[in-house]
Amino acid sequence: MSDAKTMWNPYAPLTARTTRLLGIGAVVTVLVLWTLVTGLELVSPNKLPAPWRVAKAFAYLAWDAENQRSLLWNATIWSLGRVIAAGMLVVAVGIPIGVLMGASPRVNAALSPLIDPFRSAPVVALLPIMVMWFGIGEWMKILFLFVGAVVFLIPMVRDAVRAVPQAYWVGARDLGATPWEAVRHAVLPLAMPRIADAVIVAVSVMWTYITVAEYVNAREGLGQLIQNARRFSAMDQVFAGIIVIIAFALLSFQLMRWVKSRLYPWETRV
Amino acid sequence: MSEPTAAAVSLVLRDIVQEYPQRDGSGVLRVIDGVSLHVDQPSIIMLLGPSGCGKSTLLHMMGGVRPIGTRTPTSGEVLIDGVPCHGAHDDVVMVFQHYSNRPDLSVLENVAFPFRLRCWRERVKESDWRERVNSTIEAVGLAGHRNHLPSQLSGGQNQRVALARALSLRPRILLMDEPFGALDAQTRGEMQNLLVKLHEQNPCLIVFVTHDVTEALALGDRVLVMSTQPAKFADDFTILEPRPRSGSWQRSTEAVRLEERILDQLHSKSAGRGSVSVTI
Repeated sequence: MSDAKTMWNPYAPLTARTTRLLGIGAVVTVLVLWTLVTGLELVSPNKLPAPWRVAKAFAYLAWDAENQRSLLWNATIWSLGRVIAAGMLVVAVGIPIGVLMGASPRVNAALSPLIDPFRSAPVVALLPIMVMWFGIGEWMKILFLFVGAVVFLIPMVRDAVRAVPQAYWVGARDLGATPWEAVRHAVLPLAMPRIADAVIVAVSVMWTYITVAEYVNAREGLGQLIQNARRFSAMDQVFAGIIVIIAFALLSFQLMRWVKSRLYPWETRV
Repeated sequence: MSEPTAAAVSLVLRDIVQEYPQRDGSGVLRVIDGVSLHVDQPSIIMLLGPSGCGKSTLLHMMGGVRPIGTRTPTSGEVLIDGVPCHGAHDDVVMVFQHYSNRPDLSVLENVAFPFRLRCWRERVKESDWRERVNSTIEAVGLAGHRNHLPSQLSGGQNQRVALARALSLRPRILLMDEPFGALDAQTRGEMQNLLVKLHEQNPCLIVFVTHDVTEALALGDRVLVMSTQPAKFADDFTILEPRPRSGSWQRSTEAVRLEERILDQLHSKSAGRGSVSVTI
């Protein structure tokens, strides 16, 4: 599997079987350690619930037979809805601004001092301000997700546009394109795959912020579910909720990657 | 060589000087020093010189493609049909060595690309440009590849696409910036033959930049040898041998002597500036 010759060769191809084996091995190892640590009660169950208890909590959340309801389904739909709503807003606002910044150094010079610092700013600390401005309703949650993700998306879209070799723009100008036509027909189409990557990152960022967005006055959602479970010290439910969020983030990531490869098949072939 | 039916064209360079500010701020660096040229035949003019001598800069001036941030030329002017040329010109089209085909468009769409632009859409009817695009794709030998993407083509085929796109605009002046420089020797030879054939069918003025002496001798009606730092026309050879030029002509005493003279010129003018890479 890993003889000395290929161990530290970054370019050595790995068979699908080896890749799968190593991945599953790592997950199983963590599960075994988790089982041992909790089974032998080395850690208090209030801090780290055993895997089977998390599984049970998951089953309960997925289908509560007593009350004939699925807490998890309900929470997931709400969180998913917020991510999709905020995501559409992020794309509708972020891509045009990023493209304009990438297409014109003047626009970039004017806007980047307003946008770039927020990439490293603690967006979570903005939450109280968002509450002050937008109240505690649905808009606040969606706008919080929006702000958190759009400050990442805009600079990435700009960089995607600027990464297209200048020769494409010059070539189109030589053929008689106006400067904007050269951007529109020669630069933008080539920036699209990287813009799609930026959208994928922005959506991933939103999945990490969803719990924070649902921190204040949420009656539904995965963040609220985790928050609620923590309040009742149901650590098993907290773990189950986190696993569901990770699963959805991964799922949407894979889905968007697949859509991207379908939209821009020429990119992978270059 | 010119044909009687060819559209008349005149290209004049008048005392072109190009200077750039020095990087350390100590005055200016003169890269092109008073270059003049007058051509009024639809012939093939070769600009031959070592890498970095300023021949591409000169070609870009003729194409009206200006690098950002500097005034080009610093002094002098480019006249096309007697009119000073500022910016891209309808009758002048460039073919670059790299990055000209959009990777997301098929051969057909790449050749038809200029007709997405307003200036050409307004001027050429759709039925006309479709006809032009199809006939040039056939002329460059890509009829079987209409729907292929650039990544599915070889380097030579990609340059055929670039050539077809340029020719579909029916330029009276075609500027070629080392278009075959990245191709292997055999493909380069095929492309040269193709260019000769297309030029025969539709004569226009071709200004062709190269650092390859063999290429200059195979294609040029005139070979302008450029010196370097600053660039000037050091020598101006006229070759009367009709194209296509056979291998036996290229091995003839006349051709070999010419080649030696050109090589001497290239080496002498760059003496003291280190080695110059000249491909033979």
